[in-house]
Amino acid sequence: MHIAVLAKVVPDYEVPAGDFELVGGRAHSRYTRMIGLYDENAIETGVQLKEKYGATLSVISYGKTEDVSLLRKAVAMGGDTLNLVIGESDDPYVIAANLKMAVEKLGNVDLILAGQQSADMDRGIVHSILAEMLGYSFLPKIAFIEFDQGGWKVRQIHENGSRELEFKGKGVLSITSIPENVPRIPAVRSIFAAKKKPVDKMEGILGAPMNVEELSVQIPRMESVCEFLPMEDVGQTAKLLLAKLREGRYL
Amino acid sequence: MKSLIIEIIDPKRIGELVTAGRIFGGAPDILAIGKGGIPGAYGKAYQADELVAANIVDVAAELIQREGYEVILLSATTVGAEIAGRLSVALKAPVISEIIGIAADMTVKRPLYGGKAVAQYKINKFPVVLTIRRKYFEPAVLEGTTPAVSLGAGGAGITFVSEEEIKTEGIPLEDADIIISGGRGIGAKENFTMLREMAGIVNAAVGASRGAVDEGWAAPTMQIGQTGNIVAPSVYFAVGISGASQHLAGIANAKCVVAINKDEEANIFKRARFGIVADYKTVLPALTKALKEEQ
Repeated sequence: MHIAVLAKVVPDYEVPAGDFELVGGRAHSRYTRMIGLYDENAIETGVQLKEKYGATLSVISYGKTEDVSLLRKAVAMGGDTLNLVIGESDDPYVIAANLKMAVEKLGNVDLILAGQQSADMDRGIVHSILAEMLGYSFLPKIAFIEFDQGGWKVRQIHENGSRELEFKGKGVLSITSIPENVPRIPAVRSIFAAKKKPVDKMEGILGAPMNVEELSVQIPRMESVCEFLPMEDVGQTAKLLLAKLREGRYL
Repeated sequence: MKSLIIEIIDPKRIGELVTAGRIFGGAPDILAIGKGGIPGAYGKAYQADELVAANIVDVAAELIQREGYEVILLSATTVGAEIAGRLSVALKAPVISEIIGIAADMTVKRPLYGGKAVAQYKINKFPVVLTIRRKYFEPAVLEGTTPAVSLGAGGAGITFVSEEEIKTEGIPLEDADIIISGGRGIGAKENFTMLREMAGIVNAAVGASRGAVDEGWAAPTMQIGQTGNIVAPSVYFAVGISGASQHLAGIANAKCVVAINKDEEANIFKRARFGIVADYKTVLPALTKALKEEQ
């Protein structure tokens, strides 16, 4: 069994809105970079499947050469190989075409895992575009995966609960976060071992972009001004808050 | 513009998509997924008797090409995620997800960076596939039902096995005028009891941040934020929630946010209308008592 997990390096997603700054419509380069929020859940899921089924786990990323040092975390967590397609496009079709190239180069990939959505562009569609390009099945927001009788049994978390679904053949799954796939902290020796692993770097392809014109990217203004309520007497504070909420017709 | 809604039979979701579709001009047609009457009046209605949305991509692509639809509208939900990207490739069409604003000049807006920025795009190529974020468009009133042309079942790619619907206690999050939500600052699963007690008095729903869900203190269906539920209550009580931008993206349309947090530097106070810097364990019982006294 060969599992590939897609990981994207993004600007620090925990930067508060008040400190966030754009340059040329993208996050300022001064922010620390890191593997995306849900991508780490996907890596953890991939490592668990590797441990359960003795699978090979390949990590694939599309991005800059400088991302390699950060992507090594995925190898330290349990990835067997690191494959980087070098490119800087933000277009989902171009990204998917480059990821497809990497998957095809690896050959015989049975299952591709990706975070539910990236922590920069927040689109949540690259993985499904990739699935269609590859002719693989696709399911989003997956929490649990089992390989059973030659097929995949998965649990999808949706807005009203969850559902169990099955499919045969190759697939792309977007992974949501659950307590069971909180990313592990790699051991120190794994971190050092990951640094020695060779990285397969590929030059990206141009691909055919999606043909949507980006007109602007702006930081929205937060208009709210917080009124802090006094806390000398908590009972009075509670009554004051309720009175203010009723006065504003919020309650 | 000739537009088509693709959605499960959920009047609120469909109503929001009808409103969004009307901005592009004209009245949208619909391809409904699942069984049952299709709420609302449409020029043309189609129905795929299918439990798994992912299985209808080929059927939908064939219909769109045959009928010449230009704008395809889906909700930014699990259903939209199953269909949108694959459909766009099948149609060789651009896809834009999580739309929060539409103008008649074919420009749309969507958030980036966890809601810290908003991008505006011009659609220059048709057809185009759009997923619309919940709670940003007032649902149209859907009167009556429209008889549908059956497209049969979808493909056989994904097999449905079982479904577990999590019954919410009290009012569902998406309908709630008041939401009391807990984050990592709540400290333990059992402490959500305090939130539920207060919610019971004011007919509120109880929500949670991603952090609280990741800790296993709350069900994933309770998660509020960019990748959870998008809500628009009149009052949102954020209890022990730090206010990550991804969480704030889910409450952008809340009319009034009340933040209760021990950390006066917490980001949530920048979004809040009223703030209380204190331990929620002292504030919530006092609020619950005051609400009981008002009854």
